[in-house]
Amino acid sequence: MRVFWTPLHEPATRPSFWSRMLPITPAVALVASVVVAPLVLLIRLSLYAPTAGRGFYSPGTWSLKAYSSTLDGHGLSIVLYTVMFAVAVTVVTLSVSCPMALFMSALPRPYQILALVLLLVPKSAGLLAMLFGLQRLLPRGNVGAVIAEVSLIVPYAVLVLVVQLNSIGRQLPHAAAGLGASACQVLQRVTFPLSLPGILVAGQLALIWSLGGFLGPLFLGGPHQTTLSVELYRQAFDYSRWPRAAALAVELMGVTMLVIWLCGRVYSGRSFAGPDRISAGGATG
Amino acid sequence: MVHSTRAGHCILRIFGWTATGCLLFPVLFCAWVSFSPDRLFSAPITNWSLRWYCEFFQDARWISAAVRSVAVAMIAAIISVGAAAPVAWRLAQRNVALSDRRGNWLHGFILLPVCVPVAALGAGLLPLLSLSGLDGTLISTVLVHTTIGLPIALLIVRSQVSASVVELCSAARGLGGSRAQVIRRVTLPLLSPALAVALMAVFVISLNESVISVFLATPANETLPAVVWPQLRFNASPLVAVASCVTAGVGSIGVFAAVLVMRGGD
Repeated sequence: MRVFWTPLHEPATRPSFWSRMLPITPAVALVASVVVAPLVLLIRLSLYAPTAGRGFYSPGTWSLKAYSSTLDGHGLSIVLYTVMFAVAVTVVTLSVSCPMALFMSALPRPYQILALVLLLVPKSAGLLAMLFGLQRLLPRGNVGAVIAEVSLIVPYAVLVLVVQLNSIGRQLPHAAAGLGASACQVLQRVTFPLSLPGILVAGQLALIWSLGGFLGPLFLGGPHQTTLSVELYRQAFDYSRWPRAAALAVELMGVTMLVIWLCGRVYSGRSFAGPDRISAGGATG
Repeated sequence: MVHSTRAGHCILRIFGWTATGCLLFPVLFCAWVSFSPDRLFSAPITNWSLRWYCEFFQDARWISAAVRSVAVAMIAAIISVGAAAPVAWRLAQRNVALSDRRGNWLHGFILLPVCVPVAALGAGLLPLLSLSGLDGTLISTVLVHTTIGLPIALLIVRSQVSASVVELCSAARGLGGSRAQVIRRVTLPLLSPALAVALMAVFVISLNESVISVFLATPANETLPAVVWPQLRFNASPLVAVASCVTAGVGSIGVFAAVLVMRGGD
């Protein structure tokens, strides 16, 4: 909506630099001090000599021992397990979320909102209750850890996919069906290519969150289900080896950033289907 | 969505409702167990008992942790929305400009808390806070919860600050309103549904923020997840189920209130 007004007074000249910057300063300062500063501190902390359980660090020392002790055979197997765990969780999440999103986008609007709220309530309002129930109901081990992590991520993945499917609307699938396509063909040649951006975003979210997978493996995993986050927690709290914990945190950040970068490459390298591509495919197919 | 086969439609529906039920079941199971009469986690079928609820509400440690959780959540929600709203406003100013590089950097920066693995964040925060002497204070907990809620508050408010809102406000300025008048009489009423939803969203998220709470908890400064956590890990009495259900109950009130506000605004 364009609004046309004749100003009664001259509008103020462009606000000064400080009056533009001041309102956003609290948010920026919060993120800088609560998120960026600890990460920088972690990098320095990981370069201290081992403390053998006394305090956070031995002042004034520099040593790569923390990295060498966490990147040995055992450490690398933890990294490998973290990545495999993340991939497994992502695959299961996507294969559960896509049908659920299809189901929800087909619901009439009030039911759709009800279903989304029902989906979000356990994760947001009752996280502890959900973990408690999962712990009692599922066996410990890989299965339990994967299922727990999946149920923590599925609500958000479904939300992203439902928004994407709603934005596609019902006209194109209806048109395709009117042109003679069966339900399977509509899914395969119309819905899926158009919803691919949403699927990629949901998959990327699931991958990044499950790399930092902590609650699932900790509560529903046994000793073998140790991801980087769980190992980090154990080194910090059970053994009080802070330089090692910091080194593990830096490794975790490194793996996460690598994955984000790879996803960015995949995302930008792909060309997405638009309505023009659909019609071309339909005309020749 | 067109489904030309009824069987396919039915299967999709069954799958959808089953999956939703599976996601809800652990919470319902927890609520069910919290009424069990003895220590054995037996899901009560005939003997329902409020024994554990009585114990919960009489135990000073649980009650103080619960009160602290709610207080921290409320304060964090207010500060978080107050800090995120100007950022959302700034991002909406250049809505049309695709090359709003500074805006994109700002957007990405404020979304940083969501992208960082929680365990790494907690492991970095504990040394930082104890070295700066803020360890174990209420204010540190509030600041951390505020920052964790910032991305969500930003996303919610940003989605409501549309171009028409910005134009209405500049029209009000053009009609001679001062900054303060425009904010009070035009901007805030227009944005109030989004602000209300963002407040409740951050409240609920802060209530359930367990990982960071566990990293930063000291005996004098515990929030409810920090008290529940060791018992969830190692043993438990149904007291844990009660505490989880109390948190879930308070949080659900927040979620449903947010939904009501959104429905009212539609």
